[in-house]
Amino acid sequence: MKRVIKFRPVLMAAVAGAMIATGCVAQDAKKGMSGPPPLAPLGPPPIPMDNLQSPAKIGWGKYLFFDPRLGGDASTGCSTCHQPDQGWSWAEDISRGYPGTVHWRSNQTIINSAYYGKLFWAGSVTSLEKQAKSASKGGVAGNGETDIMEARMALIPKYVELNRKAFGTEWPLLFDAYRAISAFERTLVQRDTPLDRYLLGDKSALSEEQIRGKKIFEGKAGCIQCHNGALASDENFYNIGVPGVKRWEEDGLAQITFRFELYAKGSPEEMYRTLKDDPGAYFRGKNKWDMGKFRTPSLRYAVYTAPYMHSGQFDTLEDVVDFYNAGGVAADGRTTSFPETKSPLIKPLGLTDQEKEDLVAFIEAFSGDEITVEKPEMPPYAARFTKAQLQAAQEAK
Amino acid sequence: MGVRVTSGRSLLAAMIGVGMAFGAQAASVPDLGPLPPIKVNKAKAELGKRLFFDKRLSGDAGIACGTCHDPKQGWTQNKPLSDGYPGNGHFRNAPTLVNVAHKKVWNHDGRIGTSLNDMTREMITEDYIMNMDMRIMQERVKQDPVYLKMFKDAGYGEPSNGKVRKAIPEYLKSLTSRNAPFDTGKMSGAAKKGLKLFKGKAGCIQCHNGPLVSDGKAHNTGVPENFDVFLNPNNHQAFIAFAMFQGIENYMNLKRDPGFYNVTLDPADVGKFMTPSLRELKYTAPYMHNGMLKTLNDVVAFYNAGGGKDSKKSPLLKPLGLSNSEQKDLVAFLLSLSGDQLTTAKHVWQKPYPAEYAAIKNWKNVRN
Ligand code: HEC
Ligand code: HEC
Ligand code: HEC
Ligand code: HEC
Repeated sequence: MKRVIKFRPVLMAAVAGAMIATGCVAQDAKKGMSGPPPLAPLGPPPIPMDNLQSPAKIGWGKYLFFDPRLGGDASTGCSTCHQPDQGWSWAEDISRGYPGTVHWRSNQTIINSAYYGKLFWAGSVTSLEKQAKSASKGGVAGNGETDIMEARMALIPKYVELNRKAFGTEWPLLFDAYRAISAFERTLVQRDTPLDRYLLGDKSALSEEQIRGKKIFEGKAGCIQCHNGALASDENFYNIGVPGVKRWEEDGLAQITFRFELYAKGSPEEMYRTLKDDPGAYFRGKNKWDMGKFRTPSLRYAVYTAPYMHSGQFDTLEDVVDFYNAGGVAADGRTTSFPETKSPLIKPLGLTDQEKEDLVAFIEAFSGDEITVEKPEMPPYAARFTKAQLQAAQEAK
Repeated sequence: MGVRVTSGRSLLAAMIGVGMAFGAQAASVPDLGPLPPIKVNKAKAELGKRLFFDKRLSGDAGIACGTCHDPKQGWTQNKPLSDGYPGNGHFRNAPTLVNVAHKKVWNHDGRIGTSLNDMTREMITEDYIMNMDMRIMQERVKQDPVYLKMFKDAGYGEPSNGKVRKAIPEYLKSLTSRNAPFDTGKMSGAAKKGLKLFKGKAGCIQCHNGPLVSDGKAHNTGVPENFDVFLNPNNHQAFIAFAMFQGIENYMNLKRDPGFYNVTLDPADVGKFMTPSLRELKYTAPYMHNGMLKTLNDVVAFYNAGGGKDSKKSPLLKPLGLSNSEQKDLVAFLLSLSGDQLTTAKHVWQKPYPAEYAAIKNWKNVRN
């Protein structure tokens, strides 16, 4: 069953107040003297000790990822929203939602999600295992509940068998299903992009243009300050000036979800009443200085994952570069609703048209071939008992 | 919700258990009679009516209360097992909601003994019924200008999930029997003979008594299991989810509906179900918690044979030796407890709902 939660404005305010009083160092100030870690070839993904990879787990996880029965009305599973042919994401500004809803943020790709220590745009969970749980249960995502999802798995003989092989228990537990899905996701990585090959010594892997773009990325444009290391993400939180979802102004369904998210995430009452934009990382610790900040995403696989940013407001990488060149302002003049938290690292760049093209060409070097897998055929339910067994039980009453 | 507090369980069990011992003495049971009138707040009930038939109150906006409790089908569905939430089935027959506000304990197993407010919450939030996150429901309701006005007119102010759970029960109070021949005194001769049998030779009154024609208690009458609960995985998954959530042990291997056992966890209560009201039966076939008996003739034949087969069957049930004509009279009496169908705009919301949620104008500048 679902939870019912009420406002506790007073309590909330007290907690928020206490947190502000303890203070906190602004993220941007943490940059060391030595400069950001350089771009690097991507190694194998980290594997948690309590969920080691095994072929059985990965195999079952793949089925589960594609199975819509792992959600409320058996229509919306992971792959319903994370479509392999839409970059393992969803190609609209904001993601589709559970039937009868729309999401409030842009979809994120599954590819390379194995490398993050903070998942979701606002970095709200710390492992794929926990992420799968909130995805399958969230009201505008899978909207599933433990009991019905475990009951369904138990009535799919193939899953009973795959689970037994992977985890050794008689009946599948949702906890283990999430572990299996995570094991499958840890296989969805891309480590052979042009940039990886270049960094591993193949100097022909990047074009002239891309090599020029790399210099701009690391120099004049300053992208490397946040998009750094092997993942091209420092996993820190910044407000870079991205405007909110335009659709909120004219789409009733999206307005519903917007308020729901503010309510469900425990906004203080006044904030629920007045906010008109996504406060992002604010919800992590309810700190005012985190308003409008989001986790730096990887730039890997980005060629396939348009539209871009948490609010999906940019359709192309060209638009993104124009946005940065203007100092974090969109072409139509829109920008973040939380200017007070905007990162000082984002300022007008003065790039020439040629430099912008080079930069876009370089961002494309973070993506290799499109990753596709054959969608497994969904194994059917089967009756757990025979009529004869039921008759015998009836006789024994 | 629904993590059942143990003390709640035993309290409810005690409540229902009290008076069970008196059941045998027909003389001491409350007599049949008309139901007392209930006061209903019009504006609140009108709001509840619109909510009751609104599919947007379910998770995927696919079904409404009125889908399973359909006015044209006697406020139930005329099939053995109720629909479930899309994606699953159900394992019990949907009870009629006519006179439901007169009850004190709800569901076939009697697991809710507090209020229709709690009952409404259970229906909305239960994953195999409406699977609704009430926080989304609240924001959906707030998006509809018609609701904003109706909540205000009802004195509720701004819509909230708590007020939805008040308005629907208020509406349910308006669903009561009207013009049943038994109440209006216009019973046929056969029905009058049936009434005598009901109180006498057939002994029905021992359990079906008082204005509601129910003692509000649980008994084992030996109704056979409906195998479709277990043979159809859509139904079975709802049953397993239910049993798992209720904390009934060995839920994967259960081959029968545990019934009232769910409330007491006393093995003696396996297979007991709440005595239903016998009002409005004309419209509510098939019968029993799992719809196993198709017609009232079947029900009477069932009782005439002393009920079904169960080692824990109530000692109150014995073969009755009713003749064919006596059985017909009994059925005639049962039918005299049914009144007018509640299928007009007075009880049913008939205006269309908006196909889409209108956007709030000037959204950026108004308060949420
Ligand atoms: C209704 C659509 C929907 C469904 C169903 C869904 N997701 Fe997502 N997923 C999203 C959206 C939207 C986001 C970004 C949400 C946010 O940041 O708040 C996301 C984010 C993620 C991320 C984070 C990636 C990152 O870069 O941090 C992962 C991993 C993920 N989903 C996996 C899954 C899995 C596994 C399932 C199935 C159990 C699933 N999703 C089901 C829409 C969906
Ligand atoms: C101050 C840190 C920072 C700097 C500097 C920075 N970015 Fe970003 N980048 C981010 C953050 C944070 C986001 C996500 C913002 C959001 O969604 O609100 C992002 C998002 C992106 C995205 C969208 C990715 C997706 O999956 O939607 C692209 C592309 C991108 N940045 C490229 C660049 C380029 C090119 C530069 C240099 C011109 C750059 N970034 C400079 C922090 C930074
Ligand atoms: C998917 C079908 C379905 C939907 C939708 C549904 N119900 Fe029910 N309802 C049932 C079934 C089946 C039962 C019996 C459950 C049991 O005994 O376990 C029931 C029981 C009840 C009862 C108790 C009746 C009694 O006599 O004990 C009430 C009251 C009720 N429902 C009201 C509602 C309301 C109000 C709504 C909408 C908020 C609703 N129902 C939606 C199927 C449904
Ligand atoms: C021992 C108590 C008891 C006695 C005596 C009894 N009943 Fe019942 N009756 C019940 C219970 C309990 C149920 C519900 C059983 C179930 O759902 O499995 C029921 C169900 C019914 C139903 C089905 C109602 C519905 O909505 O599905 C009818 C009709 C009925 N009884 C009529 C009678 C008649 C007629 C008699 C006398 C011949 C009688 N009962 C005697 C306890 C009793």
